Amino acid sequence: MTMTDYKVLFTGSVCSGKTTAIRSLSDIETVDTDARVSDSAIRRKKKTTIAMDYGVLDLSETARLHLYGTPGQERFKFMWELMMSDLVHDAEGLVLLVDNTRNDPFKDIRFYVEEFRDFIVRRRLIIAVTHSDEQADPDHEYYMGELKAMGLFTTVIFIDARDPSSVLKIVKELVGHREKNIDWKGLGQRLEVNSTMPRIEVEGDQEKEPLAVSEDEPVSLLDAALNTRGITGAIHLGSDRKVLSSNVSNKQNKDLLRSMVNLVSALETKASFMGSIEDLVLCGPQQETLSVFVEEEQALGLCSEKDLSINVVKQQAVDLLQWSQR
Amino acid sequence: MKELLGKVDEPGIIDCSCLLKGKDVIVSSFSKSKRNHETIAKQTFSYLFLNVAKQKTKHDEAHLEIGEQRLSGFLLKPGLVLVCLSDKNLNITKVRSHIQHIKHLILQSEVDKMLA
Repeated sequence: MTMTDYKVLFTGSVCSGKTTAIRSLSDIETVDTDARVSDSAIRRKKKTTIAMDYGVLDLSETARLHLYGTPGQERFKFMWELMMSDLVHDAEGLVLLVDNTRNDPFKDIRFYVEEFRDFIVRRRLIIAVTHSDEQADPDHEYYMGELKAMGLFTTVIFIDARDPSSVLKIVKELVGHREKNIDWKGLGQRLEVNSTMPRIEVEGDQEKEPLAVSEDEPVSLLDAALNTRGITGAIHLGSDRKVLSSNVSNKQNKDLLRSMVNLVSALETKASFMGSIEDLVLCGPQQETLSVFVEEEQALGLCSEKDLSINVVKQQAVDLLQWSQR
Repeated sequence: MKELLGKVDEPGIIDCSCLLKGKDVIVSSFSKSKRNHETIAKQTFSYLFLNVAKQKTKHDEAHLEIGEQRLSGFLLKPGLVLVCLSDKNLNITKVRSHIQHIKHLILQSEVDKMLA
């Protein structure tokens, strides 16, 4: 009997559930390469994948699925390229996990689709939306509409990465048409042991969920920024665009960032009819990049090394602002 | 001069463009409906590059994302800024590499002659 081996690559932003989804599906103890977080994600979790995740799922006696997960942080981008060109060059498809609690999940989609464009061209793309139990909107219909507008005609599945039967929907979508002899019900039952869904404890007539929240010390936005590779200074601003805290030491950078903040404040007043201002970036071949990222409630000024791409700086700023707890 | 901007404007990359000398627009392909963007670009980039000159740094490129658009300013030489309008979702490196490609053309041709 010959065995058919399939491969699938999971990617997505930090905390989107890649490692959890692979653990939910794998028949073997997953191989992961977690290390203590050393960048903006430190505000949300203490450990992160630095190289890759790997797991295996036996679909039937004649079919097996190899599960690979990329690290979420862009600074491990070299691993994405290495995986695409080598380990998973023959993968069936790419699963893009999208965290629904992100301020703008579509920004993540645009970023990852751009980064994996060449890989997707020849393969199936599935968008798997996670954390919808914490944030229900945008819903499936909205995703479909927005993706259509972006020119992406793909499958969108809402999953709970902790629940194997939920993640199994992705597998069915990916290889179900090729493998007709899979006992999906039996597979789901077999994988139930992998579930990490919170158990409901019944006490008397009352149901309650156990507390799973980390009691670790909160990390300030500036500390998280400085913990991010390539970021050399940061200014945190409030809704009135006044400085809340700053650790930019270079005077020229400080003065220029201040003038950029002033400019953004003026434009927010005078040009609001043109739409909201998202960011203002100043760069040069021999200079650190200076940028101001704006949200209604807060803004963030960053100094970053000149070699760090604007796209990466933006993604880091989005992460920092997203998990900011002023 | 207008023909020069024809080389800058590229469907799918640059919607329209203009050249700023100091605080003045010397040539523009911004349509009437995009005139507000041109005004914002003028104020933004003249202010920004004035501050850059004050601080004596070598920043020569700026990007402002406003609404669904991105305004980019490229300092060609002191006092001369090329402004481009593009979709904000377009990869910034595409705008940058397009401008790098034609930046020298602009500098070496009519603009230099006109400024001489």
